[in-house]
Amino acid sequence: MGDSDFAYGSSLSIDSMKVIAESIGIGSLGDDAAKELADDVTYRLKFILQDAMKFMHHSKRQKLSITDIDHTLKSKNIEPQYGFLQPDSLPFRFACGGGRELHFIDEKEIDLTEILSAPPPKVPLDVSVRTHWLSVDGVQPTVPENPPPLTKEIQKLESVDPISKLNKPTNKDAAGKPMCGKAARLKASESVHVKQLATHELSVEQQLYYKEITEACVGSDEGRRAEALQSLACDPGLHEMLPRMCTFISEGVKVNVVQNNLALLIYLMRMVKALLDNQSLFLEKYLHELIPSVSTCIVSRQLCLRPEMDNHWALRDFASRLMAQICKTFNTSTNNLQTRVTRLFAKALQCPSQTNNENGVGPSMVTSMKESEKTPLASLYGAVQGLAELGPEVVKVFILPRVRWLGERVEGALSGLGGADRQAAGNLKQQLLKVLAPVIRQLRQPPDVVDDYKRDYGYLGPSLVQLVAKQRSSPAAGSAGGAVAVVTCTPPLVPSAPSAPSAPSAPSAPSTPSPSPTPSQSHAFPTKTVESVATRNVVISASPTPQSPAPATPPPQKFVIVASQQKPPQPQPACGTGHIIVHSQPTIVRQNVQSVVVTSGPAGAAPPQKVVVVGMQPQAAPPAVPAPHPPAVATTPSHVSQAPVSVVAKPVFTRGGGGGTPQPPPELDDLSHLA
Amino acid sequence: MGDKSTPLLAVLQLLRKYNLKGTEEILRKEASLGDVEYENLDLPEVELASILTAHHTESDPYTYEFAYESLKKFIENSLDMYKYELSTLLYPVFVHMYMILILYDNTVHAENFLEKFGPEQEDYYQEDLKKLSIVKNKDQVKGNELAEIYSSNKFVVQLSRDASSQLKRFLHEQKNSTVVINIINNHIQIEIHDGPGRTLTQIRATAGGLLGEATKNENRTKVYYGLLKEPDIQLPPAPIEDEEETEETPDKPKKKKAKKDNIFMKKPKSDPNAPLSDRIPLPEMKETDKLEKGKALREASKRVHLGPESLPSICFYTLLNSGQTAICADICDDSTLLAVGFNNSTIKVWTLTPVKLRGMKCAEKLQDIDREAGDVLVRMMEEKDRDTCRTLFGHSGPVYKVAFDPFKNLLLSCSEDSTVRLWSLQCWTCLVVYRGHVWPVWAVRWSPHGHYFATAGHDRTARLWATDHHQPLRIFAGHLSDVDFVQFHPNSNYVATGSSDRTVRVWDCLTGTQVRIMTGHKSPIFVLTFSVCGRWLASGGGGGELIIWDISTGLPAANLPPAHTAPIHALAFSRDGTILASGSLDCSIKLWDFTAVTEEVSVDEIGNNSTVQRDDRFLLRSFPTKNSPIKDLHFTRRNLLLAVGSYDGSS
Repeated sequence: MGDSDFAYGSSLSIDSMKVIAESIGIGSLGDDAAKELADDVTYRLKFILQDAMKFMHHSKRQKLSITDIDHTLKSKNIEPQYGFLQPDSLPFRFACGGGRELHFIDEKEIDLTEILSAPPPKVPLDVSVRTHWLSVDGVQPTVPENPPPLTKEIQKLESVDPISKLNKPTNKDAAGKPMCGKAARLKASESVHVKQLATHELSVEQQLYYKEITEACVGSDEGRRAEALQSLACDPGLHEMLPRMCTFISEGVKVNVVQNNLALLIYLMRMVKALLDNQSLFLEKYLHELIPSVSTCIVSRQLCLRPEMDNHWALRDFASRLMAQICKTFNTSTNNLQTRVTRLFAKALQCPSQTNNENGVGPSMVTSMKESEKTPLASLYGAVQGLAELGPEVVKVFILPRVRWLGERVEGALSGLGGADRQAAGNLKQQLLKVLAPVIRQLRQPPDVVDDYKRDYGYLGPSLVQLVAKQRSSPAAGSAGGAVAVVTCTPPLVPSAPSAPSAPSAPSAPSTPSPSPTPSQSHAFPTKTVESVATRNVVISASPTPQSPAPATPPPQKFVIVASQQKPPQPQPACGTGHIIVHSQPTIVRQNVQSVVVTSGPAGAAPPQKVVVVGMQPQAAPPAVPAPHPPAVATTPSHVSQAPVSVVAKPVFTRGGGGGTPQPPPELDDLSHLA
Repeated sequence: MGDKSTPLLAVLQLLRKYNLKGTEEILRKEASLGDVEYENLDLPEVELASILTAHHTESDPYTYEFAYESLKKFIENSLDMYKYELSTLLYPVFVHMYMILILYDNTVHAENFLEKFGPEQEDYYQEDLKKLSIVKNKDQVKGNELAEIYSSNKFVVQLSRDASSQLKRFLHEQKNSTVVINIINNHIQIEIHDGPGRTLTQIRATAGGLLGEATKNENRTKVYYGLLKEPDIQLPPAPIEDEEETEETPDKPKKKKAKKDNIFMKKPKSDPNAPLSDRIPLPEMKETDKLEKGKALREASKRVHLGPESLPSICFYTLLNSGQTAICADICDDSTLLAVGFNNSTIKVWTLTPVKLRGMKCAEKLQDIDREAGDVLVRMMEEKDRDTCRTLFGHSGPVYKVAFDPFKNLLLSCSEDSTVRLWSLQCWTCLVVYRGHVWPVWAVRWSPHGHYFATAGHDRTARLWATDHHQPLRIFAGHLSDVDFVQFHPNSNYVATGSSDRTVRVWDCLTGTQVRIMTGHKSPIFVLTFSVCGRWLASGGGGGELIIWDISTGLPAANLPPAHTAPIHALAFSRDGTILASGSLDCSIKLWDFTAVTEEVSVDEIGNNSTVQRDDRFLLRSFPTKNSPIKDLHFTRRNLLLAVGSYDGSS
């Protein structure tokens, strides 16, 4: 109404008339004739459209359809244009050339024989009626059939711009919102508007639900846990419980980090993951509780009782992905989330150089070695992983300059005595190689000379050369182009000894990631909540030794990773079509070699859903299981978009450290382009 | 010829006056005016001047712009008291100037004129301006619906006495330009009312009609809006029911029962507004109907009392997989059946209770049945249960409205194929096809007492039918555009219609005349419903606005704040008349506190001031649905709100 861009009595252009005239064989249409025609055609078109609107309204639609126009024509005694039914709107395409501009509809020629020979389309489902309660005594129950009480957009708006909430009259706010207990009665009995958005009172049912969910999430029954996590990830009515859930998680992490209870930490992280995946929740307001917990699980010095035995690495990986997901979802210009998280991780890596910078002394790795010796290798691993998940750009800016120093740490630890340290150093090394190789591959031009690498990257140089060379030669990686973040699954360092049954399916593994990068949001996999937070049992790959039991068959398409630690070996149950069980089992026989066996149900049970990955680098283990990893996928598009920026912004790293001196890390605040 | 030649004669006279013989002769020859008309050449000087100037100004496109601007300036400079009333003149003057420009082939000027002044017209006229703007030459004026309406009807403007004298003075001053005067004389009907000039909000409340406001005179007729006396129905002794009632120890239901008795038994007798019960011949109730009525009364006694404190529960029926094909829905009075009309000409009827839909036995088997048996009604139905859903085929176009009769035996449907069909819910076949409407039929509604029904259609008429006549009993003509909805008054004596000309009209079924015309809507009216007491009429429009009308006066009682953002297509009053529910295409149901609305009005009445409330405290609650536009709302006899919507997919 009254919009300024509306022009009264707009009309078709004369050119259009001429083009149409040409198309029916009238070569020379005079300007006057065209004008007359254009006016007349415009009038008739609008005349018909006006009436078509009536048909649209009476069909109780807000979108004009072709049938409306047909009915109008019929009512005006004009033969309808049969055969123009189109379910979707047809886009106009644009073409120009020879000084003429054309808009046309892209019509494909259809081969009738093809249609005839094609299998018949699916029969549409019949209309059916489904009943649910939209409101019970004036309160809208939060069931999946009802829309979430607060849409994510509103929650986002409120957390970003709290004033918007104040501006809105409270009445409208509370209008469709379910209320419980006292609040509802208060609201109903008097017209005093109670602030509804944070009800601090849980109904009995909600309390029960909270109890059940939290117990199930940290309990021992894997099946129940899966259900509970599913509920957390899907239930639209968790708003009231959200503060308590977050407190539960953060307190749980605090306690269990002190007690080094790895399993519980994993369970808590899986809760975080489930909450993040919930479509109806917007966690911005609770990040102050979640981020410390998650980052604790990434960089904490010790997460389990026996660092040399337990697979706390997987937890760090998983938590890193969570952190990346959080950053991606909630980063705004006001909270600077990604910058702060990046700074947090960078600090762990940065102790020596940063202090030096502050003192105004030139960066000298050697002198500051001692100070940084304090940072445990496990924390370094976490920090590297955390940064790596934030994208290759971050890797380039924050890890690459410190690779010499990190290499020295690794070297020192590997030659040292402590078994745990050696393992940690090995993992860190693999991790660094995996993270850096794709970035370096992009940065440096071949040929890859070992000495250059050694000069630039120190201890890790030779290994990097190998890996980069391998990646360059590998066609898969080559075709991947910019998508470096999707780590290739080819295991260069692992002696391949695949078990017989898994061998045929092995090729399917690398192909799996190709469809997954397309959905840009990690929310695209709401049901695949469970991650590979598995404990690694000590086993050499392909040996038929301890296999953890698979849980009760979950619904298909759910990936369940068993995290049993000291359970007695049991044979793999031959059931469970389509669900995938990941056992990741490290070996300490050869320090840095480890394999992950992903087995599926019986061969041939559900071929499309089977993923088998054999022989894997240790650190690569979780991201190498491609399909169920939203974070790994999610980083891809962001990387692609950032790549050109990065080349321009930080060209120094392409030739970086030519003199052997590591570059001072760039200003941390200069990360806005990463957002 | 006479009209046309007057200017020519004037010219002749002028030529003679100046003694220009040569020219005079040429003109005579060319215009083939004989000597005969010599004697006619004695026009008075003033008239001569006016004819010549009028001719001059009418063909001069620039005067229009100037005249319009000076009128605007006059209105802007007038006192606030008159300003708003006078400003209602601007739109009709503007429209007619545009049309005159078109008629005199000044297309370019007309376009410029529209460009220049179009955007500053009231927003609710913009839609019309868009429609009018497609008219660009003389011939199109003839074929265009809107242009014809404007040129053949007078636009109604209400002015206070003072404002109109102000206007007169202004028009006198404008001697050099007769454009505005001509338009006002020919195309605008100025209604003068006593009393002070109205305020902006008062004007806005009633403005918006296609042809301006409704005049007071049109709404003088007395409307018997009271309810008819309910026929005495001896509640058959239902021991089970009674037990139930005694079991319900809280005295609430008992009280309500007593109250209800008041409503149904005593009040109508004393109701001065009720029409005579035989004003309209109503059908005799059949035994089965009486049974049904008794059941309804018993149900009503268990009704939940609703109010702002106790909101109804809403049970939502979602039509899945319907895409955009489901158009309309209706739920029968006892809430056991749901009918949905589809785009593909079919009608589906679902049962909402565990009772399956049964058909009648075939003719041979029916002959075997003993007609005197007490349970003949049961016996004639098929024994075995049928489906939960049955489909009715017959229409050849989208079904725009379906309606169950009050006794659940029949179903009416109207369609794009311009027919209305009557279906039997026992045989599940079409019984009658009512032809009469020329174009698509948009709405059909049963009389609350059955037998009669009303339809409304694209042919700008509403019609009253009886099921046993194949031709309409009454044709209600008068709307200027499509009649989009029709609704029966609870006492069956009146029919209300809502139209695309943005008026609501009430027609008397007895005389077939229009007894009320109510303006104030700014967009087409798609749904109407009478309150339980019969005095109020709620109407929902295409812009999502909701207006409550007082039938007794024909004035808007309340203009509920715009809460819906899309057309309202469903309205329902709770059975006790305390809550109004509105459902819209914006996928939400809103509940309004109707008691507050009526109270407000009764307070106002004392002051004899028909102001309009702007308060938004009438809105009680809003319930969004998950992407399911609301097709129908229905309160069960126990005041549970049933809503029907079709899921539009998650997009």
